[in-house]
Amino acid sequence: MTDFPTLTALIVLPALGALAILFVPRGRPEIARALGYAASVATLGMTGYLLHDFDTHIAAPQLGETHVWMESLGVSWTTGIDGISLFMVALTALLIPIGMLASADIDNAKSFTMWLLVLESALIGVFVSLDLVMFFVFFEVVLVPMYFLIAGWGHDNRRYAATKFFLFTMAGSAFLFVGILTLGYLYERANGTLTFDVQTLTNWAELDGSLSSSTARLLFIAFAIAFAVKIPLVPLHTWLPDAHTDAPTAGSVVLAGVLLKMGAYGFLRFAIPMFPDAAVDLAPVFLVLAIVGITYGAIVGAMQPNLKRIVAYSSVAHLGFVVLGTFAFTIEGLQGGVFTMVSHGLTTGALFLLVGMLYERRHTYEISAYRGVWKVMPIFGGLFVAAAFASIGLPGFSGFVGEFLALIGTFISSRWYAVAATTGVILAAVYLLWAVQRTMTGEPDEENDLPEINLRELCTVVPLLGLSLFLGLYPAPVLDRVEPSVEAVLLRTCVADDPATPDDDEAVVVQIRDECPEDAPIPVAAEEPES
Amino acid sequence: MTLLAQLAPIESPSIDWFAIAPPLALFTAALFIVLVRSIYRHNPLIRPLALLMAITGVICAGAFTFVQWLLIDADGPFSSTGPYEAIEGMVAVDGFSVFVMTVVLIATLLAILLASGYLGRERLEAPEFYVLMLCSATGMMLMASANDLIIVFLALEILSIALYVLAAFDRRRATSQEAGLKYFLLGSFSSAVFLYGVALVYGATGSTNLTKISQYLATTTILDSGVLVLGIMLLLVGLGFKVGAAPFHMWTPDVYEGAPTPVTAFMAGATKAAAFGAILRVFFGAFDLYRTDWRPAVWALAVLSLLVGSIAALVQTDVKRMLAYSSISHAGYILIGVQAANDAGASAALFYLFVYALMVFGSFAVVTVVARGGDENHTLADFRGLSVRQPMLAGLLTLFLLAQAGVPLTGGFVAKLSVFDAALDAGQYPLALLGMLTAAIAAFVYLRIILAMFAPEDGADIVRGKTRVDFGTGVALTLAAAGVLFLGLVPGRVLDFAKEATCRSDEIVAGVVAPDDNDCDVEPESGSPAPEASPDPG
Amino acid sequence: MSTTDLLELSWIIPALPAAGAVILLLFGKRIGEPKSGWLATIVMTLAFLASAATLGALYSLDEDKRQVVGDGFTWMEAGGLKVDFRFLVDPLSVTMILFITGVGALIHLYAIGYMHGDPRFSRFFAYMNLFAASMLVLVLGSNYLVTFMGWEGVGLCSYLLISFWFERNSAAVAGKKAFITNRVGDVGFMIAMFLIFSKFGSLDYFGDRGVLHEAGLLPNVTATAIALLLFVGAIGKSAQLPLHFWLPDAMEGPTPVSALIHAATMVTAGVFLMVRSAAFLEVSADAGMIVAWVGAATALFAATVAVRQNDIKRVLAYSTISQLGYMFLGVGIGAYEAAIFLMIAHAFFKALLFLGSGSVIHGMHGEQNMRLMGGLKKWMPVTAGTFIVGWLAIAGVFPFAGFWSKDEILAKAWFNDSYALWAVGTFTALLTAFYMTRQVWLVFYGPERRRDAGIHEPHESPPTMTAPLFALAFLSIVGGIMNLPFGKQNLEVLTEWLAPVTEAARRAPELGGLEAGHAIHPTSFVAGLILSLIALTVAIVGILVGRAVYKKGLTDEGNDPTEVRIGGFAKVLANAYYIDAALAWVVGRPATIFARFLSDGVDRRGIDGAVNGVGVLFQHAGGGLRRLQTGLVRNYALGIVIGTVALLAYVLVRTT
Repeated sequence: MTDFPTLTALIVLPALGALAILFVPRGRPEIARALGYAASVATLGMTGYLLHDFDTHIAAPQLGETHVWMESLGVSWTTGIDGISLFMVALTALLIPIGMLASADIDNAKSFTMWLLVLESALIGVFVSLDLVMFFVFFEVVLVPMYFLIAGWGHDNRRYAATKFFLFTMAGSAFLFVGILTLGYLYERANGTLTFDVQTLTNWAELDGSLSSSTARLLFIAFAIAFAVKIPLVPLHTWLPDAHTDAPTAGSVVLAGVLLKMGAYGFLRFAIPMFPDAAVDLAPVFLVLAIVGITYGAIVGAMQPNLKRIVAYSSVAHLGFVVLGTFAFTIEGLQGGVFTMVSHGLTTGALFLLVGMLYERRHTYEISAYRGVWKVMPIFGGLFVAAAFASIGLPGFSGFVGEFLALIGTFISSRWYAVAATTGVILAAVYLLWAVQRTMTGEPDEENDLPEINLRELCTVVPLLGLSLFLGLYPAPVLDRVEPSVEAVLLRTCVADDPATPDDDEAVVVQIRDECPEDAPIPVAAEEPES
Repeated sequence: MTLLAQLAPIESPSIDWFAIAPPLALFTAALFIVLVRSIYRHNPLIRPLALLMAITGVICAGAFTFVQWLLIDADGPFSSTGPYEAIEGMVAVDGFSVFVMTVVLIATLLAILLASGYLGRERLEAPEFYVLMLCSATGMMLMASANDLIIVFLALEILSIALYVLAAFDRRRATSQEAGLKYFLLGSFSSAVFLYGVALVYGATGSTNLTKISQYLATTTILDSGVLVLGIMLLLVGLGFKVGAAPFHMWTPDVYEGAPTPVTAFMAGATKAAAFGAILRVFFGAFDLYRTDWRPAVWALAVLSLLVGSIAALVQTDVKRMLAYSSISHAGYILIGVQAANDAGASAALFYLFVYALMVFGSFAVVTVVARGGDENHTLADFRGLSVRQPMLAGLLTLFLLAQAGVPLTGGFVAKLSVFDAALDAGQYPLALLGMLTAAIAAFVYLRIILAMFAPEDGADIVRGKTRVDFGTGVALTLAAAGVLFLGLVPGRVLDFAKEATCRSDEIVAGVVAPDDNDCDVEPESGSPAPEASPDPG
Repeated sequence: MSTTDLLELSWIIPALPAAGAVILLLFGKRIGEPKSGWLATIVMTLAFLASAATLGALYSLDEDKRQVVGDGFTWMEAGGLKVDFRFLVDPLSVTMILFITGVGALIHLYAIGYMHGDPRFSRFFAYMNLFAASMLVLVLGSNYLVTFMGWEGVGLCSYLLISFWFERNSAAVAGKKAFITNRVGDVGFMIAMFLIFSKFGSLDYFGDRGVLHEAGLLPNVTATAIALLLFVGAIGKSAQLPLHFWLPDAMEGPTPVSALIHAATMVTAGVFLMVRSAAFLEVSADAGMIVAWVGAATALFAATVAVRQNDIKRVLAYSTISQLGYMFLGVGIGAYEAAIFLMIAHAFFKALLFLGSGSVIHGMHGEQNMRLMGGLKKWMPVTAGTFIVGWLAIAGVFPFAGFWSKDEILAKAWFNDSYALWAVGTFTALLTAFYMTRQVWLVFYGPERRRDAGIHEPHESPPTMTAPLFALAFLSIVGGIMNLPFGKQNLEVLTEWLAPVTEAARRAPELGGLEAGHAIHPTSFVAGLILSLIALTVAIVGILVGRAVYKKGLTDEGNDPTEVRIGGFAKVLANAYYIDAALAWVVGRPATIFARFLSDGVDRRGIDGAVNGVGVLFQHAGGGLRRLQTGLVRNYALGIVIGTVALLAYVLVRTT
């Protein structure tokens, strides 16, 4: 634990940037933009330091601190980071400056940059909070800047999209809120003190006897609804295509790259560790929903006449793999889930950026408007195809690693779900390559005589694709840091019972290592915070 | 003369002036203004002078309140007396009264500031306005410390009558007149109901003094509690009307819309505070033992208010009406705290009142500015593109609206958090859930306003031209905004204050023990790490 | 530096073309034509030399040590899954890389001439190099996942190269079709990997965590499942029934692509995979026969279809499918060596034929329809000569490579007592000889029909194109000596060379207590001789019939003689039994309808409709409440009264 409160600083820094921008005169957007870059890049730098400072071998959250916040309500300012949240923070810090760069010539840059910074600060807050109420605070605050980004800089249908996004997710988190408070009070009933400290509650809640199984199940469902809306799981997904389609490019990038992950993260950090039995009991439901998401997202996506909607629906499919891996309750599966979260942020982010570039040139997302773009914009076409294949999950790109791990992990614990989900790899190829064929290939007509991608735009896409490629070939940096944390999650589910033993209808040649050693030590909280 | 000699001299009660100093201060200020006004009829200086006196009055009242707190706060350094009742138990001086008074005073101060500019703009009789507002405030203060149903009724009337006039103050606008009349008719109707309730309670318990009532109820069991409960219900109706809880809410939209906007703000912020103060004191203090009887009724009121307030607002096109309905749903949230019927609930309700006063006030203040001369332009259309012509104003309104929607990092969130805390503590899961969902519905309304300001429909005609924000309004807005943010970011102290307040009020009602007074032993100095904040190992 | 150290450097072989690809992708434009072509060709040649060196090094080791896993790093490690990115050098992989790099280099050289003047000249070679790299990764991978990576890599390159001329919509569609069809097969491959991992906890082929030599422990069901799932993958890659239809369309790509990817190398990846996984085939009781029959059926089917194709390249495409069918026939009956033998020989003569056809198209200014050709022998003698060599080879005429290789598979089928397979194979051989003869006569002999189509004079191709033709022609002639069927005289070089791999696979069942499989050997030399004679006669007959039918080219009405003879059935053949159309009907249309239903009906109207419906609902409720808000004081008072009464009623209910 460093004496410097890195995580709090990560939350505060962008917020300060936003505050500073507030006082920039309207007439001087360039100052605002400069401040924006400064703040976000500084945050990125600090994240780099965080990655370096992070101790790979600890499962429990680290580098955090605790302060009193709303004492009489038992709310504290508790931060901490583990392998899972680490990369979510890193992703946020990476995508925000890229989003700024991508929207360099947007109008009213002052407010735009300000909202982006607020968004960054809120998102980081979500991932480093280790107090349930604090988490909820940021979970909700995220809506505001995203709402303004969509409503203020979105496209034709922005008012509808923004409102839908806000209300849909707010209604979802209503359940989360009640769930959180209930849990806090049940804990108070049992132990006398009111606290929302995640580790305390987790360690207490998962013990047998602290919660009746029906209560645990209800609470799990309450949490699950909110997270399912965010992920989003079919049929709670319809806010997503609208929000994506009408959001400005930067908005879509962050929305897909990070916001959706808040749901999956919520499952990994709260819902599953706190109510493992319920999670294990309900796992089939979520596996089915995941498969539905994978196939449904792909099929519906394929039918969209709007390029950006296709990418939006592809997110539904990808997040399906995340959920699948998560509820497989095997290390491979969880690893795959988390890795897909990271990878999806890169590949889909790249796709949204590229689609955005087309929009800047033609001001339409209609597929029918494009033809033979590859010929007039060779580099752009190449990048677009590359991004498409990265998103399809071609080996060598990060997408494959995530999907493969998720699938193989699922296969170990629940074979037939994995088999069903694997068909998704066909569908992904179908809708993306079809889109490529209709837009990139063919003989371009004169409307499609578009200017080639410029250096600034290159600087936004290439890092994402490069990272995706690197992680596809060498995923160890992520997998190693994530492993202890997902093991910790897994062990909690094991205490419930072990879903992950392969079916022994046949002689297993090499016994798959037991997912749950009998003497599974419950990973306990990090060392006492210094006060 | 023998006849005279036989008459014993009438014992007049000894009056503890200090106990009622805060209301008196306001009333004195009012009198002074009348006096000055009558002396210098046409002196142009009268306007600022009146304003000055009004503010001074409020500040004095505040000072008195503060001293009271210093003396009664048992944990404080200056504690001499602790909470006590004065004037034959007519008024109570305790944390509870102090808290409510504080809210009322803040609301009054802001209202005066807001009015100062407004009156000039609308060319209305400033001094009279202040006088009425101060009188009404006096009533509210009295209500806060009233420990006897008669006093409650008196206070109710004092504050109401002044308000009736204030609502109708803008003689040039028919809507204002109409508002005043409506409010008057319905208000007196509800007062009558309230009075009837008082009578019934007296019949059942033989006293109107809250302390005595509670003692009586604690010592004797009433075989047929029908009359008593009937009385309680009628009291609920009377006060429910004042707080604008469904189904006694119907006057709210019309009156809020019609009344001069500063008055609306005052009504919404201060009146609710005072009325809820009375509700809490009466129901928690006197009828605590009959909790099981009145809780369901309050529950019903809460549910209705939440639904009506949020749903009816959806179809409004006038911002003032929207805010009126939202005030109904806010009443619902506070009622959630009330019906929890525990200390957490009481302090939650108090805290909510505090925040509510600020955010509703801020919202109406912005409306006042946007409504411009004639105070007519407060439809949704008038807010189109506000972000372009007056970004600061739009930003502030957005802040207040988000706060009302309960978005975190604003006071609104903490307020909701605390009432839901209380509700869940009392095991009211469905009610809490309903509250959150209606919050989502209500959010739609706030978003409509925000959209109008920031993202007007393409091609919609946008109002042009700035309206200048006068000094008073500016200060009021700044204070409100700062308060909302402060209560959202570091609400610790105020939360503790609210908690302290409720705990002290239990002690004064002798014989009645708080349902769980373990809440009371919180150390008020926050900042030291709470024991439960640190994760327990293993 | 010991031999094994040398072998551990095997990663250099794929690294060379990979580097070439990267350079060309980044700086291709600047390098320009023809330099980029030469660069690509040179790296391929270097890779070939490296492979040759590897062969030498491996040969210098004793048989049981010919299995070296090279340097590498851990690719994926999660829980029990540990996949290394390493390369495995053993007789099988070395054989593969040799002919991949060899034929590859020749085709690269050829392409320099063929792609002359193409605007995307350098990008073409970038793709080609990338393909070579992926193919080498595929065959060199030391575990299923690395192989799968190459597997997908070649799929990508195949997509990019088929739709290389993406301005032609048909090309773009064909590329997409190829990739998606392959993807279907890949699902089988992936699930097979899952199954293997769930049983063994590893995906390595050999080594301490190797799965292949432990395959014997599997129960028959699982082994069959794994083998067949892998075969599904192979069906997709190697265009076997019923996933064959992408390959003919793949001819949209430039001819060098067809030669390298869709004839010599990529499509044989399926065969390689099955030979690599032979252990599972051996352990499984029935998988082998299924593979063999699918192969045989495909061989026959494709051969019949080839008879009625008019596009010079489509004929070759179907013939490729048919030849691949032969290979799977061989794999299925356990004649792995024979399958590999045919694979290599086929690489030679089919590459030759494709390049020849490419040269013809080049000379005919892009014309591909054989009906408009004829008599080209006179205009392009070199092409004609080499093409004829290829024709004799594929027809299976003594002593060309095709004779030995195809004969061996048929013989093995016979000696394996699967006479039905032998019969099908032999009949297919007849058809093969026939349709190839038809092609040769329609293209090179008979009257010149080009004038009617107004195509002016053909010309012979430049040396960069003809040189590879010579080389491949030579290989097609002498290729047979790789594996002459004279075991006693140790002339079965390839068989013996592959023995460490194949024999290990055949011994796999022993671990499970079953008896080991055994290599198929001729019962007697005479029998073998007779079979060879039969095969030869079949070939001769096919050729003679073909020549008899097509001596004069087309009939005077310009019809195809066979068409005239077999009448209506010709149409069926011309449309490849309408399988493509049928699939479009049975799968395509319902899928589209279903998807439309999902997106419009369920998603937009259903789910989203419901969501918006809730909003509308509340709006209505609000409207209702507004109607209560009459603005009349008496109504409001009434409201209060009602509320009060309700409360009183509640009290009464409670207290009584």
